[in-house]
Amino acid sequence: MRVHVVEDDAGVSDSLALILRNIGHTVISHRDAESLFKGSVPEAPDAVIVDLSLPGIPGAQLVRWLLNLAAPPRVVVITGQSQGFIDHQLRGLVPDGVMRKPLDVDAIARVLPPH
Amino acid sequence: MKDFAPPADALPPPTVSEARLLSVLDTAADGIIVIDEHARILIFNKACERMFGVAASEAVGQNVKLVMPTEYARQHDTYVGSYIRTGVKKIIGIGREVQGRHADGTVFPLELSVGEAATPEGRQFIGILRDLRPRKESEQRLADLQSELVHLARVSAIDEMGAAIAHELNQPLTALMLYLQAIRRAHSRGIDIVTVVGDILDKAANEAERAGHIIQRMRQFVEKRDPERHVRPLDPLIDEAIDLTLLGQRHRIRIDRKTGENLPPVSVDPVQIQQIVVNLVRNAIEAASGMPDPAIEIRTRASDGSVRLEVQDNGPGIAPEALPKLFEAFASSKRRGMGLGLAISRTIAQNHGGDLLVDPGGNGRGACFSLVLPAASMPGEVG
Ligand SMILES: Nc1ncnc2c1ncn2[C@@H]1O[C@H](COP(=O)(O)OP(=O)(O)O)[C@@H](O)[C@H]1O
Ligand SMILES: [Mg+2]
Repeated sequence: MRVHVVEDDAGVSDSLALILRNIGHTVISHRDAESLFKGSVPEAPDAVIVDLSLPGIPGAQLVRWLLNLAAPPRVVVITGQSQGFIDHQLRGLVPDGVMRKPLDVDAIARVLPPH
Repeated sequence: MKDFAPPADALPPPTVSEARLLSVLDTAADGIIVIDEHARILIFNKACERMFGVAASEAVGQNVKLVMPTEYARQHDTYVGSYIRTGVKKIIGIGREVQGRHADGTVFPLELSVGEAATPEGRQFIGILRDLRPRKESEQRLADLQSELVHLARVSAIDEMGAAIAHELNQPLTALMLYLQAIRRAHSRGIDIVTVVGDILDKAANEAERAGHIIQRMRQFVEKRDPERHVRPLDPLIDEAIDLTLLGQRHRIRIDRKTGENLPPVSVDPVQIQQIVVNLVRNAIEAASGMPDPAIEIRTRASDGSVRLEVQDNGPGIAPEALPKLFEAFASSKRRGMGLGLAISRTIAQNHGGDLLVDPGGNGRGACFSLVLPAASMPGEVG
């Protein structure tokens, strides 16, 4: 599966890419929503992992945009923020998965299984 | 050198009017000692008996060195001698803080004022003494309380930033965990990772170090320490404090940092100064966060004999009605604010011989807070 990772923290982004490739996915990393928009639009059966706290366009806005696409990709939210913050940000949005940091490989493999 | 030890012959007994004078002196709350020009004690009132644990009957006739610590006693001979020879006053008519010695050996601070009287029996010196311990104690208590409060405010600032800091710690922990699990997975599947494992382990170690730094920065900030003074350049302290404030800041904000050239160093308690910076920058971020393009500018510059730090935001500024109470404790417009930040920051600034000033802005301009600190006179470590 092709997985886009939108995460501004270099360490998290790099390690996440490593483990996703390890699981067997193809990874495309983006520092923010803006740079994802510059490339081709992700669509099913791709997946997009979105960090909620992004510089510039907020993560939740990117999630909304992705879920509203004609052929939406799988959308997985990652965040280190509190449940209250997550609920507030995602009001009305139902992504395919929400993973709270620190992440681990089992949780990732469950949401984005190798094929 | 001349010695002022009492001569062998005893002093004559007091006359009737002297006895009346003595009983009056005994009612005084302050210690009163009268000596002659040989430094022999002529009068030693009741307050002195209590203060020094020596009976008047024993003290009278002895050299006043009796109630002085040895160090002082030696100098005292020189003082009296040189005054009588040269007329140069070191203490007479001036009053100052000296040390006294109780009969049990305890040395304690005294406020001493000395007057001089010419009498038919020659020159006499009248000393009025006040035990400074109670005053020192209450000054110390006040200073302790103040530093306690300053520390509490730091703890409370970190407490308010707790969620943000937890988030910041989550980043390196996430990366660390994933790096290790990547190695683990490869290993358990018998995948050959020899060529990359060193690289991944290095990255993992970096992330662990990053987490450690965050904890260290926090710990330095909240740890309780005695107040101190170091001569330091201001800019590195400010940069560190900005980093701490931005830990896990989820509203990304533009920060424009301008450092002045050739800033003289300042003599400061580094953590307390960082506390001011954290308060000002947090306030600025909170004020600007409602704006479409939140930004703050943090500048340092030298201005005659002092160093200035200015924190300017592009928020709404400070309402005129909030201005009079702005620096008072518990004046907060925030739901979760303690209203301690500015009150404590100004106290710290003033304790450093500086001040914290505000340009309230308004009408489209944000507030600008200025921390002014006197430039340190000497380079190098002090205290
Ligand atoms: N940069 C600023 N812009 C506008 N208002 C400010 C600014 N800094 C402080 N204030 C006002 O001063 C009040 C007191 O600030 P402070 O003493 O730091 O306490 P707190 O931040 O806990 O409220 C704040 O509640 C706010 O109303
Ligand atoms: Mg504040």
